[in-house]
Amino acid sequence: MFAVIGIKTFDFINDIGRFAKFFWQSTIVSLNCFLRAKAYPLIRTQMNIIGVRSVPVVMITGAFVGMTLAIQAYDQLAGMGLEERLGVLINISVVKELGPVLAAIMLAGRIGGALTAELGTMNVTEQIDAVRSMGTDPIRYLVAPRILALLLLTPILIIYTDLMGILGGYFISVIQFGINSKAYWSYSASFVELWDVAIGVVKGFFFGVAIAAISCYKGFTCKEGAQGVGQACTEAFVSSFVSILALNFALAIIFKAIYFTFWPIKSIV
Amino acid sequence: METENENKTKAKNEHNSIIEVKSLIKKFKNKLVLDKINLNIEKGKTTVVIGPSGCGKTVLLKHLIVLLRPSSGEVYFNNDRIDDLKEKELDKIRTHYGFLFQGGALFDSLSVRDNIIFPIDQHYKITDWKQIDELVKSKLAMVGLDGYQNYYPAKLSGGQRKRVALARAIALNPDIILYDEPTTGLDPIRSDIINEIILKLQRELQITSIVVTHDMKSAYKVADRIVMLHNGKIVADGDADYIRNHPHPVVQQFINGQVDEDDLALLRMKGTMSQAQFLPSDFVQ
Ligand SMILES: Nc1ncnc2c1ncn2[C@@H]1O[C@H](COP(=O)(O)OP(=O)(O)OP(=O)(O)O)[C@@H](O)[C@H]1O
Ligand SMILES: [Mg+2]
Repeated sequence: MFAVIGIKTFDFINDIGRFAKFFWQSTIVSLNCFLRAKAYPLIRTQMNIIGVRSVPVVMITGAFVGMTLAIQAYDQLAGMGLEERLGVLINISVVKELGPVLAAIMLAGRIGGALTAELGTMNVTEQIDAVRSMGTDPIRYLVAPRILALLLLTPILIIYTDLMGILGGYFISVIQFGINSKAYWSYSASFVELWDVAIGVVKGFFFGVAIAAISCYKGFTCKEGAQGVGQACTEAFVSSFVSILALNFALAIIFKAIYFTFWPIKSIV
Repeated sequence: METENENKTKAKNEHNSIIEVKSLIKKFKNKLVLDKINLNIEKGKTTVVIGPSGCGKTVLLKHLIVLLRPSSGEVYFNNDRIDDLKEKELDKIRTHYGFLFQGGALFDSLSVRDNIIFPIDQHYKITDWKQIDELVKSKLAMVGLDGYQNYYPAKLSGGQRKRVALARAIALNPDIILYDEPTTGLDPIRSDIINEIILKLQRELQITSIVVTHDMKSAYKVADRIVMLHNGKIVADGDADYIRNHPHPVVQQFINGQVDEDDLALLRMKGTMSQAQFLPSDFVQ
């Protein structure tokens, strides 16, 4: 019993160590690729696969988040006669937290799963060995373009989510609940700062890299057979999901510290 | 004085070996697959590795190009130790190799043409695409698949995939080619064409080949030397005649395709077959 737990813990720590090594190598190689024109077609291909087809998904996510927030928060605010501030609440939640996190989670499912399945299949059919046998670093050829594509695209996709979230919130608040449109926007504009939007978008860089690195790693270390690939996909999604939430928490602390360093005092209402 | 000595020993070791394997042991977890293999591959010769399924032929082949690392022992390429090099350093050495994977290992996402261009594109700056297309055409013609440039691997048969993989393996004009069962899954005529390709590459370009195969006809045809692997050890090593007349029963059984007495006894055991055919009595639908 204790032996089993011991072995499991050991395996887990081992796995973390190997991931750290993989991540470190990938980072170096990705930086390297970024500076070399030869990698650009590969990155562009990946961006096409990842970007274009993800836009509808993240937009739908954003719209529903905005609309749901409006429905939920309206009664409480209206009870206090503050319904004109609904926009502040919706928009700040969307751009700062919910938009980035939910968009990232959608991407982890949509892109991360596909990445792991693709690389996992390549692994079990010896295609990754084939890349190595021809004197090419599989991290450079397979991992770096995917990391770079997600690094560049996640923030952009988050902007789409934000936009749709804001529109969704507006639609419910102003059109359904009849809040004064001008007041709705002016409150929003005075309370939601550029800083808040920027935080959300910057988070995208971190989430994108996390999703790509974890999914590629799981694909590379995938076990034999169709079952192995399936298992790797599940693990990749769960790990990406947890990492996104953990990163979001860590980044919240960091951004808060930065914010208070530069703007020490700020009233809430 | 010392350098002179070193040079002497080096010259002695050289005698034209391109790959040298010393006391190679490979374990997966606790499973011993290769047990102290010593092997010297001579430059320009064709060495055939035979042995029963699962005896570690593919594992051995992968060690020669360091796709797998030994548990202990050493691998040398042109007298330089390579099994302890970093991946980055190995990349350069691997361009001297062509590796034909047992399953082909073509890239699913690339067309036949792009599969063959892949290794060239990785190591050369291509400017003249017309010339490259000519090259692809000639490599494909060699394996009888010219005209399949725009097919994707999923649309090819198993044997066709293998032949494209061979075309890709020779794309960089390697010094040494490792073939993992090149003729398995091909019809007899295609198999013989592959044999001819191996011989032609050896005669005309002095390419060293290491061929893993079950196909004794092919082995006798192409081999300068045959090595038989059994239970992780080399049990026989010599030219075709030597192997044909080898006294070891395991070797004779293998080359003649005869089953073991023990296996036969198992099959003969009364009731085994009817037990094997047992099915539940309720047939649904
Ligand atoms: N990555 C691996 N992890 C664990 N065991 C492995 C691995 N690769 C190979 N083996 C084991 O090593 C043994 C030899 O495998 P190998 O693929 O070399 O056989 P082979 O001689 O090529 O057989 P075949 O003729 O069927 O291709 C097998 O028993 C296999 O289970
Ligand atoms: Mg094999």
